[in-house]
Amino acid sequence: MEKIVCKKEWSVAMRINHWAMALSIFILIATGFYIANPFTVSQGDTVHKFLMGHVRYGHILFGVFLVFLFLWRVYLAFFSRFHADWKDFFAWADVKASVEQVKFYLLIRKDAPEHKMLYGPMQSLAYIGLMFMVFVIVVTGLILMGAGYHAGFTALCYKILRPIENLLGGLAVVRYIHHIFTWFFILFIVVHIYMAFWYDAVLKQGTISSMVSGVLFEREKK
Amino acid sequence: MAKGNNSEYKKMIDKQYSDLMKHCQVQMEKIEKDLPEPKEDFQAVLKEHGVSRRDFIKWTSAMTAALMLPPIFRPMVAKAAENFSRLPVVWLHFAECTGCSEAFLRSSYPNVDDILLDTISLEYHETLMAASGYQAEQNLEKAIKDFAGKFICVIEGALPRGLNGKYLTLGPKGKTGIQVAKEVTSKAAAIVCIGSCSAFGNIQAAKPNPTDSVSISKALGISTVNIAGCPPNSVNFTGTLLHYLLFGSLPTLDSLGRPLWAYGKRIHDDCERRSHYDASEFVEEWGDKGALKGWCLYKMGCKGPYTYANCGKVRFNDAISWPIMAGHGCIGCTEPAFWDTMAPLEKPLDEKTYGGGEKTVDNIGIALTGVAVAGIAVHAVASGARHSGGKK
Ligand code: HEM
Ligand code: SF4
Ligand code: SF4
Repeated sequence: MEKIVCKKEWSVAMRINHWAMALSIFILIATGFYIANPFTVSQGDTVHKFLMGHVRYGHILFGVFLVFLFLWRVYLAFFSRFHADWKDFFAWADVKASVEQVKFYLLIRKDAPEHKMLYGPMQSLAYIGLMFMVFVIVVTGLILMGAGYHAGFTALCYKILRPIENLLGGLAVVRYIHHIFTWFFILFIVVHIYMAFWYDAVLKQGTISSMVSGVLFEREKK
Repeated sequence: MAKGNNSEYKKMIDKQYSDLMKHCQVQMEKIEKDLPEPKEDFQAVLKEHGVSRRDFIKWTSAMTAALMLPPIFRPMVAKAAENFSRLPVVWLHFAECTGCSEAFLRSSYPNVDDILLDTISLEYHETLMAASGYQAEQNLEKAIKDFAGKFICVIEGALPRGLNGKYLTLGPKGKTGIQVAKEVTSKAAAIVCIGSCSAFGNIQAAKPNPTDSVSISKALGISTVNIAGCPPNSVNFTGTLLHYLLFGSLPTLDSLGRPLWAYGKRIHDDCERRSHYDASEFVEEWGDKGALKGWCLYKMGCKGPYTYANCGKVRFNDAISWPIMAGHGCIGCTEPAFWDTMAPLEKPLDEKTYGGGEKTVDNIGIALTGVAVAGIAVHAVASGARHSGGKK
């Protein structure tokens, strides 16, 4: 008979980081689109209304969360006591494995190629892309924040980032890049969620639940 | 700040200001010794224009505050204004429309700033001087020689670099703009770029920029004071020159060369419609109900959130009005490359279009997401067929 064993895949820190980022990003997308395309509230007196104010507050609050979540994630990639995974972000460098992986995704090959690393080759490419996206949206977000608020941590960041603003061509360009990257996040999320379900269905190892429980199931052949 | 330290702190500030005041007095004496007598008696000129003593004092307070100086500096600002016409100025025109000169020198309600500019000691100004041809050339050469190291070089207009600079040739000898600019700026005490053309290139440098026009600082590789705007506010120019007279140095600049006292905050930060922005009250269409109530112009393409300038504070035409007060959004004219980066001027940023002027970034985003979802559906069905039944 086959025995199923649990293999620990994700540390607690990694799982908390994952879901906190997911929540922040969902809220940031929703509030971000409101800031870009606000609807007018016509009823009532101006003094009693503060919708844009509240939405911006929420956006910036979760934006700052995301800044620290990102820093935490980078820290984990290098210094996690469970598994520092920074090398795994480069699994795509193995061209042969990448080709095999694409064949598997395109349903040309039926059995899953073994991963030598924590992530599959295509997966690692997507995640390093995600890290880059978070980096860009965090930097542009901090610039937009610094433009309107001139004290404390925000002002310090802005002082450092102002040359980047000038290099990019001013606040309007920064804002536009921030907007474009929002779409990259949406595209990432669509594919990411599908791939998680697909793996779960094809490999039957509990990919979806692993980000909650921390474990993947493996069949141990006797 | 703790209460006990308060008097300490106050003492420190007081000391700083009294040091600054001493510096200022020394500077003023130096100017009165070094620079020629004022060409005109400023008080007499003011009287001529019907500006009362009281108006002048009011202006002094406003200017002192605008320069972020405490009230004790008012008499010094007044003195600097009286000494304003001692400062020799060479005013150069390159690729531009002369709109900045026009805006400064021909306002219909001249305020003290405009009158101040009328008294400016222009050693050379192509639009205003009587001389032309070789005579004009001689005037320029003489001014540069007589006031070497002392004159302020004011520049209006960008410099085209294309055709080796030959898109712009000036004077009887057919010198290129770049040649003239090099000759004059190398002898100047300070270079003040007036308007977005000389500061950042402006419309001449907008895409596709056939003449390869650029700002003065980029064309010559020098640093300049940039009084940005199209046209800029006369207050920002006179204030900067007054600062120079008061302290013998240029005001603190931001990383784009704009004086911080004038360009330190965004239009959006000091906008009278800002409470409507925060309350989500937006004008949706020109002349609608919101427009009548003075709501925020964000959805009509206001670029105030991306623009550093003090228009809302100092306003135009003797502080009568300014664009957002008049009901049109800011178009971002004090920012580099604003024709390109702020477009479309009357729509929010994210409605910039691609591909024959049809698709916005949101259209493209929605389309790509649709394609991704459709691809997923196909892949899911195919996977279902391929991986059905089998274990692993
Ligand atoms: C996944 C993450 C994020 C998404 C999807 C997102 C999305 C957006 C969008 C769509 C806008 C409106 C842009 C426009 O008007 O075209 C916006 C604005 C803005 N975002 Fe983000 N954003 C994210 C992260 C951040 C972060 C990390 C910060 C700050 C640390 C931040 C700060 C801001 C600020 C300050 C604005 C301008 C709001 C204003 O001043 O009116 N964002 N964001
Ligand atoms: S009108 Fe423009 S500058 Fe004023 S609050 Fe609205 S968006 Fe900001
Ligand atoms: S309101 Fe904006 S567009 Fe108008 S003059 Fe000021 S900076 Fe330029």
